[in-house]
Amino acid sequence: MKWITARRRHPLAGYVVVILALALFGVGFAALAPTSDEARAQTLSAEVPDPEDVDVANGKAIFDQTCASCHNYDGSGMYAEDDEGDLVVTNGPDLREVGSAALDFQVSTGRMPSMDPDSQMPRKPMAISEQDLVDLIAYYDEEIRTDGRGADIPFDVPGDAPQAADFEDEASYEAALEEYEGEYDAYIEGADDVDMGMKLYLTNCAHCHSWSGGGGALTDGRWAPEIHDSTPREIYEAMVSGPGAMPMFSDGVITPEEKQELISYVKTLQAEPNAGGIFDLERVGQVAEGFIGWTVGLSLIIACAIWITAKQRAHD
Amino acid sequence: MSKTTQAPKALRGVGNFIDDRFHLAKTGEKNLRKVFPNHWSFMLGEIALYSFIILLLSGVFLTLWFKPSMMEIVYDGSYERLQGVPMSEAFASTLHIDFDVRGGFLMRQIHHWAALIFVASLVVHMLRVFFTGAFRKPREINWLIGVAIFTLAMVEGLFGYSLPDDLPSGMGVRILQGVMLALPLVGSYVSMFLFGGEFPGEDIITRLYMLHVLLIPAILLGLIVAHFMILWHQKHTQYPGQGRTDKKVVGTPMFPAFAVKAGGFFFFTFAVIAGLSAFVQINPIHLFGPFTPTSITSGLQPDWYMGFMEGSLRIFPNTLDFTIPIGAGYPVMTAVLVPGLVVPGLIFGALGAWPFIEQWITGDKRAHNVADRPRNAPVRTGLGVAGIVFYGVLWLAGSNDILSETFSIDLYLTTYIFRVLAIAGPVVGYVVTKRICLGLQRRDRETLEHGYESGVIQQLPSGEFIEVHKENSAETTHVLESKPVITSTALEEPETDDKGVENPAARKGMGRLRRALAHWYTKDNVSFDGVEAHSGHHLHHGAEHQDH
Repeated sequence: MKWITARRRHPLAGYVVVILALALFGVGFAALAPTSDEARAQTLSAEVPDPEDVDVANGKAIFDQTCASCHNYDGSGMYAEDDEGDLVVTNGPDLREVGSAALDFQVSTGRMPSMDPDSQMPRKPMAISEQDLVDLIAYYDEEIRTDGRGADIPFDVPGDAPQAADFEDEASYEAALEEYEGEYDAYIEGADDVDMGMKLYLTNCAHCHSWSGGGGALTDGRWAPEIHDSTPREIYEAMVSGPGAMPMFSDGVITPEEKQELISYVKTLQAEPNAGGIFDLERVGQVAEGFIGWTVGLSLIIACAIWITAKQRAHD
Repeated sequence: MSKTTQAPKALRGVGNFIDDRFHLAKTGEKNLRKVFPNHWSFMLGEIALYSFIILLLSGVFLTLWFKPSMMEIVYDGSYERLQGVPMSEAFASTLHIDFDVRGGFLMRQIHHWAALIFVASLVVHMLRVFFTGAFRKPREINWLIGVAIFTLAMVEGLFGYSLPDDLPSGMGVRILQGVMLALPLVGSYVSMFLFGGEFPGEDIITRLYMLHVLLIPAILLGLIVAHFMILWHQKHTQYPGQGRTDKKVVGTPMFPAFAVKAGGFFFFTFAVIAGLSAFVQINPIHLFGPFTPTSITSGLQPDWYMGFMEGSLRIFPNTLDFTIPIGAGYPVMTAVLVPGLVVPGLIFGALGAWPFIEQWITGDKRAHNVADRPRNAPVRTGLGVAGIVFYGVLWLAGSNDILSETFSIDLYLTTYIFRVLAIAGPVVGYVVTKRICLGLQRRDRETLEHGYESGVIQQLPSGEFIEVHKENSAETTHVLESKPVITSTALEEPETDDKGVENPAARKGMGRLRRALAHWYTKDNVSFDGVEAHSGHHLHHGAEHQDH
């Protein structure tokens, strides 16, 4: 304590206290805040469900409880006429022709059920269990979907990695993980035409999601989300269903093979190490570089200028 | 240097040999003993010099492998992810520098970080010169050279950024071409001339390369040398202090003390740039991939020094375009022309013209070697801050998509906010800064009269508590007393002569404008007239103590 007492009136003491307090809050926040790993912990790699495991009645119960208040009991949505006699969505849009891929995308990324139909939903942990989602999709396919319109879930594209918490023992988890990684690698590395993937991505996706997949701002307060947490299957489903402001890229516009190249390009770029240094500035680019150039680079040099001119000898 | 020591015999021999032929001893002695005033803000220009040297050296290294060619080849170098991708030779050779040349990646990052630091240090150096009035006579020419260096540095940076032919390079060149096309009459010809045909053509990289490594650096180097020779000849300005006058410089001699400091400072500058380059990734062209005219991405900006141009393009309204109805119609793209050429023209034009405008307003033709304290020239300081705010708002607007995403603000809303700020911000900045300056002047006067607050509280016999003020040091007193009175010759001439005839100069438009500006420039000032150092009451506490 004597050490502190002696120095507490030092000119720099105030700054030291502020820095320590900031560090404490920063570390504390980092320790307590939920990480993205936890946030996506619950889902299982969904495969084509066995008809015997599906409970359509449970799916109906979930739909009526969590979806129908906006999308109506028959999935026809809620519309009203505006001043000019056009139909506009009041709560939720018509679901009957969107297809199960759209439903799987919206629910598995936690965007649905939504609290506020007027604002864009961020990615969140899924609100219902994996089994409930399977039941819900089965109910949708049987009762609500019209003539099988819209895109189906692409079950051959890898989804979420299995999580240890969902398995009873270590061995079965590791087996599932190994199987998943095999599938994932086969899907990603099966596509090796970087030129095609890059051209497709930079022509169709990058103007909203940015070159790095980090997302970007859109008009009217909306934004294009970061796609780093998305599984290949979610990216695929987003392309075929066109959620929110995103246009739809059906399999006729971009073929499944091209989609594989595109997804492979995104995932490979994301996994690419940062050869330029350990601080990648979140791959934000020039704005972050300029900020660091001023706040770290130039500030340090000026601090040095202040330091070397501070002490003067009388005779020189 | 209290005692003289003889140099070793071998050195003396060489020295005498050279001196017998070139007679350098006298010039050398004089210049080595030249005195430099000491203040941290006088080192800011040196940061620019040192980062320019680093730019030259690292740039030479890069030219050894860079191929400024747009010929399309299929990449087969050691960066696996892009193998088999068709790209220009320029991009492929940059990948080669990154992944196959030993130390190449580090050198490229050093070159890029040094460029960011170089322009940033130019800005802070220029602001120091502006706010201290160091551009006044006799240094107007050096100020103009500085403005030219700043302008050229931006262009040099833009061209360098365009060379690797990666995704952001191509987007930057495309914006450059858009601004060119907006030029009335000559736009499309200028663009066709520079690109050798349609965008992107096959020549642009080669041409920008020539400009980037030969023409502009040569001009820059020449201007920087001229800047230093003029500085050397005119001597550096100094802040007011005891013994420092317009005729006498107080500081550190060039050799050895200043040379040692400056040398050490070079290595520190280099260390910071090298440290950033080693640990912080900059412009990762291998992740961006090569440019193709169909590619476009959000979230990419130019380097920071072009940010204000990007911002003015982003926030300028697009409703002012018009068509001259001659023949098939001749469109004038004001939405590109004004922000792309008029705004930077205004900023740099105002910078270049200011020393002459100020001289015209005040009529001050004296040579000034003692710098102003910014508070003592409130109008100039206020205008400087207004300029910073205007530039800063445009600069922020250039990153509006990143700000919108990072802080979850509606993108369109940011545009409206920046439009309002670009007009209101400079006005508020000017008024607030001028008031702060006047407040500081008042505090200076108080400090001069009463001394400084010692922090000691004393209880008088009557029970009253007072704070003991102590006398300022002789240095502080000198600095405070040296506050110049801002006057203008325009106001000294009477409006009418003794026969009631109006002053002819004051009657004409320019004369009236000058008088109005002179009035505005000089009117608000805290007068130090009749203030004597330490004459205030706090120093002599008695029973008749008065409150202030």
